[in-house]
Amino acid sequence: MSSRLNFIPARLLQAIPVVFGVTLLVFFMAHLLPGDPAIAMLGDKATEERIAALRTQLGLDQPIWVQYGIFLAHLGQANLGDSLTYGRPVTELVLRAVPVTLSLVLFALVLSMVIGIPLAGLAATRPNGVNDLAVRTYTLVGQGMPQFWVGIMLILFLSLKLRLFPVGGYGSNITDHVYYLFVPALTLAIALSPTLIRSLRSSTINVLGSEYIATARSKGSGGVALFRQHVLRNAIIPTVSILGVNLGYLMGGSIIIEKVFALPGLGSLMLNAIFSRDFPTIQGVTLFVALFVVLIGILTDVVYTLLDPRVNFGSKERE
Amino acid sequence: MTTPTAVLAGYQAKRRAVRPRSRKPWYKNGSLVAGMTIVGLLVLMAVLAPVIAPYDPIQQDLTATLQSPSAAHWLGTDKFGRDVLSRLIWGARVNLRIGFLAVLIPFVFGSVLGGIAGYFGGWIDAIIMRIVDVFFAFPFYVMVIALVFILGAGEASIYLAIAAVSWVSYAKIVRGEVLVAKKQDYVVGARLGGMSHTRVLVRHIGPNVLSQAIIYGMSDIVMDIMAVVTLGYLGLGIAPPTAEWGSMILDGQEFITTLWQQATIPGLIVVVTSLGVSWLGDGLSDLLSPDRRK
Amino acid sequence: MRKTNRIAFVGFLAATALVLSGCSAGTATGKSGGPSESAGPVMGGDLVIGRAPDAITMDSTSAQFENYSMAVFQQMGQALFEPSADGQKVVPLLATGFKASDDGLTYTIALRDDVTFSDGKPMTAKDVKFSIDADTATGHSGWGFVNDAIDKVNVVDDHTVGVVLKYPWAPIIGDLSMFSNAIVPENYGGKTVDEFYKAPVLTGPFMWGEWKKGQSLKLVKNPKYWEKGKPYLDSVVWNVVPDANTRKLQLQGGQIDINDTPDWSSYSSLDATAGLKTYAFPSTRIDYIALNTQREPFADVHVRRAIAFATNRKALVDAVLFGHGTVANSLLSPGTPFYDKDAPGPMYDVEKAKAELAQSSQPNGFKTTLLINSGNANHAAIAQIMQAQLKEIGITMEIKQLDSTANKQARLDSKFDMAISAWTMDIPDPDQWTTFALDPEGGSHSAFTYYNDPAVIAINKKAQREGDQAKRAELYKQLQKETGDAAFLVYLFYSPYAYAATDKVQGFNVTPLGNYHTGDMYKTK
Repeated sequence: MSSRLNFIPARLLQAIPVVFGVTLLVFFMAHLLPGDPAIAMLGDKATEERIAALRTQLGLDQPIWVQYGIFLAHLGQANLGDSLTYGRPVTELVLRAVPVTLSLVLFALVLSMVIGIPLAGLAATRPNGVNDLAVRTYTLVGQGMPQFWVGIMLILFLSLKLRLFPVGGYGSNITDHVYYLFVPALTLAIALSPTLIRSLRSSTINVLGSEYIATARSKGSGGVALFRQHVLRNAIIPTVSILGVNLGYLMGGSIIIEKVFALPGLGSLMLNAIFSRDFPTIQGVTLFVALFVVLIGILTDVVYTLLDPRVNFGSKERE
Repeated sequence: MTTPTAVLAGYQAKRRAVRPRSRKPWYKNGSLVAGMTIVGLLVLMAVLAPVIAPYDPIQQDLTATLQSPSAAHWLGTDKFGRDVLSRLIWGARVNLRIGFLAVLIPFVFGSVLGGIAGYFGGWIDAIIMRIVDVFFAFPFYVMVIALVFILGAGEASIYLAIAAVSWVSYAKIVRGEVLVAKKQDYVVGARLGGMSHTRVLVRHIGPNVLSQAIIYGMSDIVMDIMAVVTLGYLGLGIAPPTAEWGSMILDGQEFITTLWQQATIPGLIVVVTSLGVSWLGDGLSDLLSPDRRK
Repeated sequence: MRKTNRIAFVGFLAATALVLSGCSAGTATGKSGGPSESAGPVMGGDLVIGRAPDAITMDSTSAQFENYSMAVFQQMGQALFEPSADGQKVVPLLATGFKASDDGLTYTIALRDDVTFSDGKPMTAKDVKFSIDADTATGHSGWGFVNDAIDKVNVVDDHTVGVVLKYPWAPIIGDLSMFSNAIVPENYGGKTVDEFYKAPVLTGPFMWGEWKKGQSLKLVKNPKYWEKGKPYLDSVVWNVVPDANTRKLQLQGGQIDINDTPDWSSYSSLDATAGLKTYAFPSTRIDYIALNTQREPFADVHVRRAIAFATNRKALVDAVLFGHGTVANSLLSPGTPFYDKDAPGPMYDVEKAKAELAQSSQPNGFKTTLLINSGNANHAAIAQIMQAQLKEIGITMEIKQLDSTANKQARLDSKFDMAISAWTMDIPDPDQWTTFALDPEGGSHSAFTYYNDPAVIAINKKAQREGDQAKRAELYKQLQKETGDAAFLVYLFYSPYAYAATDKVQGFNVTPLGNYHTGDMYKTK
């Protein structure tokens, strides 16, 4: 089996140019944004004189290649620089924001599984039946609702009308966090579960039709036990890759949810950084997310390989 | 937009073999029919907007603002006294147009690159795929928002911003399909027979692999509509006063407790549109490759 | 404040300074004993304020220090003087009074002897000298330039400082009331600048609690506060809630006590809601549209007047502010000294608008663009109404949205036709605004309109230097008339500072300069 894992070093090596490419892309994109941190910081009453003074202070009047060089040099020392707006090290701001977004995303993934697994199973047992059509309609509706809209609707219903949950915010201790994160995580789960359900449903149908299950059935297994022990375990394999990719995707895509629910995660950090042209923070957060996505991608392939003996990423034709 | 769906499609491409298609008449294809009906009706609504909308969508009446639904205004009026129903109908033009058009550039660009990468392999493949990875790892909303800022406001920037983010999925899908296809007998045979690369790509591989891209494109339309609506909600979309469903939700949100229709109904129509397009996509999927599991 | 501001102070505060210096040292105006009403304030409780942006820094001398940081800082940091509650003059705070020398070069300031920092150490003249010097040292890369007139600060004795000026400068007292001149412990109590401002030790009613960046900032009661009996609250927390709708719902749900910026559309319904109340504090804010006179057709005054006459300000107040505001008739706002309520600024008159346009270089109308901030509902509302109004006289106006930084850049580069903007005063003197708005030397090319009328500039300069109040009023009256006629800025409306709070919140007051003091606030049970 270890020979099937020998794609890892090659992939890690390939990750390097990817990450480097991301730094190039984000640096130049950030610097192409109209306006700059000095203008963003100084407000409507700033005179040209003060803006110029601040630009010099922040090192913004140096040629762009020099600035990029400084950025890379710092990166080599694992230093993401200091936020131009807050004056704090970007690493500190990122490390504070990551747990928020990560908890949100993981919570959302768990909820999507709670919603998705039973629904997928329900749909798969009788394809094209009534249940199946209902579930498939749910998946289409779930994917078709704008996230912020779902968020607003859930807040109105769960937080205001039923008073079951707070309106946004993050809370101050672990129990609080779980409580405050429920509605946003549910909003995300509604958008996520469709992809999960589709994949799980289709692989469950495949597994159900396989000889392996026919054999088990002939031996007398049936019902929920059969589903849990045999079907699910095999059907979940391709779904693992979905979960993995979603994890990476969501870390970079939580901007809207975090805005609506006032969550101090990576999305909010990033959105504010873009508006205030806080280059180091924009670069730092993007880099972090990119690294995360790449590593999760490799990890997903590892898990996938370990779970499914038929898969071989080490072969010549890579994904 | 780049999503896990594209990645999954890549995985699945590897494990499938091409099988002959079954023939089921299109009108018996439930999803296809439902999808075509809904999308057809919406397109009709958009095209006939000048005829069927009761009022001019940007006509203000500051004496009659924020009215509840009534016989004169079926969905009430917004804070400038504009008829919400008319804005909803005219909004279809903007959202549908952008949703459908926004897939074209990434579709073409991504498929071409993906096809080249898959077909030629080697270092061309390696370079293109690394570029794909860079874009894939990049947080997509960051890129969309940043590009909209950089390119300035307006419809063109939205197309470009979405294109910059979504081409990746098409590249991955088409590359995956091409990798499988180029090993097929008919391709090997054509090359042995002396056919040029271009001809092989265009006449033989192309039509077969594009079907997957087209199917993905349908779900991409849904995602693009969502993206435009979200940009509208963030205040980064089409400039006012043009009616657009996302900014209607943003405007309506202020009055959610009193005039809930103004934020809810545009949201619902977005859902219906997505449903229609998705069914259309499912139906197409059945038509073009019924052996593929959804 | 810039160079020109200080010149501005000469006229206005000269008068004030004369009055106050007559009182000489020993006058203990400013904060006095506790509340006197029968119901009395309730001790204890935590106040939660919800607002969209987070604070940026607690270093009040740095360039990054801005309004949202200031709102927090002001609850902890105090300077020798402060603006009065009505925003019209400057009163002693940590000082008890001052005396100016005959040549106007030395100001001897007496300090209160009962002030302690939140760590218990008493405040002395050495701390004052250190604080002012540290601020001055930041110069143009911070707020230190405000202290440009100061030559040196001397410690006369433990409770007296002497401020020696380079040139006579009566506004020095106003300068010393700036947040950047807040008093900090000498040598930052042994810490470095950065360390200190991470958890500043200051003299105010609240002291540093905890800051979860991007989420919430908490200040806690200073038990050693020198003003006995205050503060009433145990803590004040500012929560970051970016979405306007979420903020509104949080207030309704009781999660926050004060909503920093409720939208005007729900204002009346909020007021009518049980348990909530709304506030509209008089402000010095004016909203206007800047016309870029470097662009055809705005170089033509008739075109500008046409737009000014075509603007239905009442309709804007009703539709954008939902009635909570007044039409703007002048460059200055009602809360600013020397505002002329009879100033003949252009008012809505379609006939006059058409007449002006007929006389202009564009009798058949023209196409143009209005720049607004994306994501700003008020801007979008103003823009859409203006669009309809201008169409009536044949002007086709398109709306362009840019995020606020790109917007500022566009205005700096003069790449715009029309742009919506606003102004609020920082100090009780019109000059800060008039110089910015019409004098190219004001540093902004006349609010980026490039309007340049030497006659009007001359009036402004004269008014800056005029010591006689009556004459000064006359000059500003003239100025308001001239600028109204020139119409390089289309005045829209004056709006109050809006807040919404639960009715448990008491003692909440926002000065026209935008400041509030949580030390005077309390919550009933």
